[in-house]
Amino acid sequence: MQKIRMLLWMLLVSGSMMSQSDVYVETESFIEKGGWVVDPQFVEQMGSPYLMAHGFGERVENASTSVHFENTGEYHVWARTKNWVPGSWDPPGMFKIMINGRELEKTLGTSPGWSWEYLGTVVLQSGTVGIQLVDQTGFNGRCDAIYFSTSDTRPPNSLEKLMEWRKKITAKPDVPEQEQRYDLVVVGGGIAGCAAAIAAAEQGLKVALIHDRPVLGGNASSEIRVHTLGIYGHFERILKKLDTEHYPNGSAEAKKDQEKRDNNVKSYANIDLYLNWRAYDAAAENDTVRHVDAANTSSGKRKRFSAPYFVDSTGDGWIGYWAGAEFSYGRESMDTYGEEWEEWGELWSPKEADNAVMGSSVLWGSKETETKQDFPEVPWAMPVAKQHEEVNGEWQWEFSRNDLNQIDDAEEIRDHMLRAIYGSFANAKKNPENATRKLEWVSYLVGKRESRRLVGDHIFTFNDAKAGTKFPDAVVIETREVDVHYQTVLEDAENPDFISEALFYKTPKYYIPYRSLYSKNINNLFMAGRNFSTSHAGLGGPRVMRTTGQMGAAVGLAASLCKKYDVNPREIYTGYLNEYLKLIEAQKYVGIPESKK
Amino acid sequence: MRYQVWIIALFFMATGFSQSGLPTAVSDSSRNKGLIRRPEFYILDWKRGTQLKRKPTTISIIVDSIGLQGVDALVDVAGRPVLYASDISTPVCADGECRLMHIRLYWTLLGHYAGFDHYPSFPFTKHDHDEFQSADYLKLHQLLMDNNSILKRRKVEELVDKPIAPKKDGADAVAGATITEVKESIVTGALYSCYTAWHLVHGGVREQIKRRTLSMMDDNMFLRMLDSNNPEYQLFALKRLNKEQYEENYKVIAEVFESGIPLVRTFIIKNLPASFWDSQEWQRPFWECFAKIDINSRSLLLNHLGKSPETVLEDISKQLGAMTKNQLKVFLGHLASLDGVNPSIWNNLRAFSNSKAEANAYIVTHFLEDHE
Ligand SMILES: Cc1cc2nc3c(=O)[nH]c(=O)nc-3n(C[C@H](O)[C@H](O)[C@H](O)COP(=O)(O)OP(=O)(O)OC[C@H]3O[C@@H](n4cnc5c(N)ncnc54)[C@H](O)[C@@H]3O)c2cc1C
Repeated sequence: MQKIRMLLWMLLVSGSMMSQSDVYVETESFIEKGGWVVDPQFVEQMGSPYLMAHGFGERVENASTSVHFENTGEYHVWARTKNWVPGSWDPPGMFKIMINGRELEKTLGTSPGWSWEYLGTVVLQSGTVGIQLVDQTGFNGRCDAIYFSTSDTRPPNSLEKLMEWRKKITAKPDVPEQEQRYDLVVVGGGIAGCAAAIAAAEQGLKVALIHDRPVLGGNASSEIRVHTLGIYGHFERILKKLDTEHYPNGSAEAKKDQEKRDNNVKSYANIDLYLNWRAYDAAAENDTVRHVDAANTSSGKRKRFSAPYFVDSTGDGWIGYWAGAEFSYGRESMDTYGEEWEEWGELWSPKEADNAVMGSSVLWGSKETETKQDFPEVPWAMPVAKQHEEVNGEWQWEFSRNDLNQIDDAEEIRDHMLRAIYGSFANAKKNPENATRKLEWVSYLVGKRESRRLVGDHIFTFNDAKAGTKFPDAVVIETREVDVHYQTVLEDAENPDFISEALFYKTPKYYIPYRSLYSKNINNLFMAGRNFSTSHAGLGGPRVMRTTGQMGAAVGLAASLCKKYDVNPREIYTGYLNEYLKLIEAQKYVGIPESKK
Repeated sequence: MRYQVWIIALFFMATGFSQSGLPTAVSDSSRNKGLIRRPEFYILDWKRGTQLKRKPTTISIIVDSIGLQGVDALVDVAGRPVLYASDISTPVCADGECRLMHIRLYWTLLGHYAGFDHYPSFPFTKHDHDEFQSADYLKLHQLLMDNNSILKRRKVEELVDKPIAPKKDGADAVAGATITEVKESIVTGALYSCYTAWHLVHGGVREQIKRRTLSMMDDNMFLRMLDSNNPEYQLFALKRLNKEQYEENYKVIAEVFESGIPLVRTFIIKNLPASFWDSQEWQRPFWECFAKIDINSRSLLLNHLGKSPETVLEDISKQLGAMTKNQLKVFLGHLASLDGVNPSIWNNLRAFSNSKAEANAYIVTHFLEDHE
């Protein structure tokens, strides 16, 4: 019971609008999640991780928990939820709530935009009350929180007011309860973050790796299933612990490499791995990051991580963003760095800068079975899918649009892709050829390609790749061709808006300088991964994950020298470059033990 | 490779061709004549009655094992080039066996693919010697239209049989995609013909044609390109127009905006001279397409709300359903920033907010709650 109490955010708070007996339950803290998944991807936009019934058309098992009520009484009940495709059809993500085994009548998931839906009143006895979420549709119903109150005042809907209100009712202090100190704090456990943590740990640093998922690898994980491309550069030994085989994107084979990766990272005694922890703030003083605050995505428990050095490998440049680091987003004009490629004109580099970026994907697949398989009608998906028919999704299933920001609108982007997937599959199912086909897997995580790019002392461009510029501080090497994507709907308004095309440029061997891997204006911040210092076209090559892994390993080693000499990242370039390059070079000669090959 | 050449030589001898000079395979009467009908497969507009004459140029294509083949300009009655064309006979070889393919290719003034003709007496054949059916010709046409085809980046050997060829330095996931992409884009059983034709069309000839066009460019040609239905022409012209030309041609540009592809539209909106947004008359036609155009173009248009006349705001307030959620927020944000807003706009907002059929009605409802 003690544990249950810990897991629930109960309130026994004074706040003026609150009564002593009110109970507030964050669904992500439910003890049994059943078939519901915790989705913490959009915390910055809608306020909290939430539970989602991701059943690809089949109702998922109930999520359940039990909560302690101090007082017997009549309670008004609200659930914070959303109809994720409002329109002239039944909402796709409907669900109900069951209290002490009795299903409340009201169907939820019916109002557009995140808001509190009212369920009426229930009479509850003091003591333990069982709550369950009952999926009705199998199509991504979502519930953030449930609120029981003896008063009939609805909690606020506007995000700002809601956050204030929530702070009050949960009586959380502004500062996290616990603080921990490390030599290096790495945020984001994609291939870049994992490589940074390993490289630093091997040099003796005490490292925290904070990652908001249960498994490591980011886009390469078994949850997103993109295979790693690029070369190893100087870091074959480290990257082989993390990378993947060359399976098709979306393949279930990703699971094998998942185990290898997780075990390898966990084998380092001096890496403290914080899985299911999401950083939500970083504070800088005098242009120096002092600490990063993170919360557990289920329990809501918070921790403060302080360190002399930080690595931002979140892909979205969150740490830099919170700390005030300079960043860019979108496409530079072709004159900014002279990245024009006449053959592809505007598609490659526009005359005028704009906010277009490469899009995000949701990978998915279906399989043949022995028996006939039904798939429900999905009228709410059709305005997106239109006539498109497909039974699998690969990398071309990609979505970006200039009114949508890849970070701020990520939930809408993910949902658009879900509609594209369900609708295209429903179309394919109309074909008798697919009668025995069944959706096997649809990711619910947005696989991103491009968003914020933090600005370093050097901004890597397409021209650096094209010319194969040999920087004195070259720490990453790549030979993979550059490819930049665009949405095919730009060429024909009749094309589906969720399919992209890649434009390829064959480059010579090219290099990324160390100066692109630390922030220009935040003194102790490294970056590795797709949020490194690059132009839009520059990202076309090195966004792939062995390359981003190389960046991670390079900054992990740089951090060890920073610690050794008590200097900042820039000073490694200005004062200790030789030693740094030697340290990198030495990586090549550490043999790979047979067992790890 | 040598082996292939030898086979081709044998083949030519057996069929009566010699390797010196052009083979005289195409006996169709249209060969080397001008053009008086729309090519069978063609991407540009063809006005009835068009008569194009052939005019030799110094441009040529090197065809494997055969040598140089000339590319001619096709000129209109005024002598202005309209197209480029070449009658090509090329060997297509697979597994050491070669056949000749006879094709007449057409290019635009910018060297892009414009279309092709085949000769009835020389149908294209597949690997198993079956003749192309009409659907096959159409598929070839579609393949040739794709200047970014996978065929561009792969050697033909890499596409045979098992096209995955997992390559360490592949694209952002070429593997997996490749199978379907190749299969879907080529004529079944005719990979080699498709491959050969694609590389003829999209090879070095393109640059030569473009260079020739550029050397003959005049204002009249720009305007004809602008006024065409071809996005490549439109963009080419738009990129080269100066401010005065934009202003003089504002009507044509607005028409291109209305009918063009999203890429052309977004270019126009981003590059219209500032003077357009100072003139009610010049900006009006762009706003008039507001509900019809694609989402990206509409977002860019909304960037200019600040300089739009109130009639535009009123018109948009009647078309709120055309906007995405974020576009609606931009529009409402703009209204909120104004000192006063015409009451009819409020009425339109209210009506929209009450509409059950509108998915985004709730956004307007929230807005009205905050601002009324
Ligand atoms: C469909 C698709 C196909 C692609 N194809 C390929 C391919 O074939 N090969 C290839 O190598 N690359 C491919 N890419 C590109 C590559 O996967 C991305 O560029 C990748 O994001 C680079 O890795 P990363 O480590 O920088 O970021 P990510 O892999 O995105 O890792 C960052 C991680 O940080 C976590 N995170 C973010 N914010 C926080 C926070 N506040 N607190 C804690 N954790 C946080 C995220 O959950 C994420 O897992 C593809 C991308 C997509 C979407």
